[in-house]
Amino acid sequence: MNNLPNTPLLQAQQVSKTYPDGEVRALNEVDLAIDHGDYVALMGPSGSGKSTLLNLFGALDVPTSGDIIFEGQPLSQIDNLDRFRSEKIGFVFQSFHLLPVLTAMENVQIPMFETSLAAARRVERSHELLGAVGMGHRATHLPRQLSVGERQRVAIARALANGPPLLLADEPTGNLDTANALAILDLFDELRRERPLTIIMVTHDEQLAHRAERIVRLRDGQIVDDGLARARS
Amino acid sequence: MLRRPVRSLLTVTGVGLAVGAVVSLVGIASGFERSFVDLYARRGVDLVVVRSGVTERLTSALTESLGERIARTPGVRSVTPVLMDVVSFEDLDLFGVVVQGLKHDALALADLKIDAGRVLAAGDRQRVILGAMLARNLGKSVGQAVEILEGEPFEVVGIFESYNVFENGAMIVLLDELQRLMDREDQVTAFNVRAAGLADRAAIERLAAAIEQVAPGLQAMPTEDYVNTDSKIRVARSMAWLTSTIALVLGTVGVLNTMIMSVFERTREIGILRAMGWRKSRVMKMILWESVLLSLAGAVIGTVLALVGTRFLSRLPSASGIVDGGIAPMIVVQGFLIALVVGLLGGAYPARRGARMLPTEALHHE
Repeated sequence: MNNLPNTPLLQAQQVSKTYPDGEVRALNEVDLAIDHGDYVALMGPSGSGKSTLLNLFGALDVPTSGDIIFEGQPLSQIDNLDRFRSEKIGFVFQSFHLLPVLTAMENVQIPMFETSLAAARRVERSHELLGAVGMGHRATHLPRQLSVGERQRVAIARALANGPPLLLADEPTGNLDTANALAILDLFDELRRERPLTIIMVTHDEQLAHRAERIVRLRDGQIVDDGLARARS
Repeated sequence: MLRRPVRSLLTVTGVGLAVGAVVSLVGIASGFERSFVDLYARRGVDLVVVRSGVTERLTSALTESLGERIARTPGVRSVTPVLMDVVSFEDLDLFGVVVQGLKHDALALADLKIDAGRVLAAGDRQRVILGAMLARNLGKSVGQAVEILEGEPFEVVGIFESYNVFENGAMIVLLDELQRLMDREDQVTAFNVRAAGLADRAAIERLAAAIEQVAPGLQAMPTEDYVNTDSKIRVARSMAWLTSTIALVLGTVGVLNTMIMSVFERTREIGILRAMGWRKSRVMKMILWESVLLSLAGAVIGTVLALVGTRFLSRLPSASGIVDGGIAPMIVVQGFLIALVVGLLGGAYPARRGARMLPTEALHHE
């Protein structure tokens, strides 16, 4: 994590989000900066806006007002958000979201189809990534043949397919027992040691959140506590 | 597709039936048409002269002596008078069997491949030669008698094989015998005209115009036009395309329904792909490709059904002289192209719908 640029990796600037189907304001003028290499836990009760913020960070949705800045560039000025997601963001979901008809290796290759990698290189890289998450021996298995913990490992390998600098994890341990949940967080630590990776993780679990280096708490669409800010003040 | 094998199979079957209908019906119609054009070309016939204004070719009636006047037209090499009529053998369920009346020296007779017996000769009274298919359907062989009209037994002196399915299901007697039999003294249905030298299309059309000046009421047509404008062929072609169009619309609706269901069921998966950075165009291509794959699988089944079906039909007595059992490769290619269009049409809306889904909404789809 040394020699990182001074510009934050990610910034939310006065970000608000109101969903069109109701007058619910999911986020209300949120400001937040995430540095390169940060490991952030987003916490808050249901409806506090943490998943909405994660979706905005991942360019899966656009803010009603304000902007998300990634490496100094506003997402609103990026023409091809699909390519941005493919290259810059890795997603890990609570329900793993692996495609059931594809093997672990094929699932890992999904994001690579948007790159210029040749087929042979895609296979090679998926093997490398599965090896990195301890799933090299299960490469040809279908998701239904894997345990829930293994499925989440495959999902993490998939998230890292194109070497993104940012990993967004929405309740990554929500469907796992404690042992598997801890194993996944150990894997996050290991991955951060091996590569320059920033992780933002949404979680309900206070204990697991403390594995992160910074805890940001939201309530009613606003940041009510920022662990790092408190440490610095 | 593999996750819902029964639904996919039903869709493939639907497209298969649609493509099968196109390939078989259009194939039969165009094969029938093509075989006539080829037959005339093979015998060197450049023009067919009939009574003008007649839509049903068999009812054309011209005076036989006009043949000599047509033959004197500059540019004409030879003229062959042909009389055609139809008879039925109701006890055998054979209806509309064509009887051709030709002169013994007609080129058409010389061109026939005789399987048994001999060809007609000058002076053959109450003698007939049968097309191979008709002989099979009638159960007749050389030496046996065929009652063409009641009380008119004709001895079978030969059985021939023609390049034309229509002729294989027909019989031939001498021209004057058919004129006597049908009470059409000095009448012919048409004159087949061969032009002198290697004439191009323009020269043939000029010759046709000259022949039409020989006598009022004559219509001379290049053989291809003669075949293409035949009312039976036109009706067959129209019916084939109409039936095929209905089948194709049904096939397209089937694919559309399957793909809409498939996209709906996979909404969350599409959301995942979009979240992973897949462009809308890639998602669209994926759905369209599936749809096209279903349709092309249907085309394979449909083509096999059509080939087997037409072969089977060609062996039925009731279809003899109509279905030759072969389908031109171009018609098969046409069937596959149509299946491709069905796949693209059936997949277009679901693909667009799938690609336009917002990743966040798709991911939360239950």
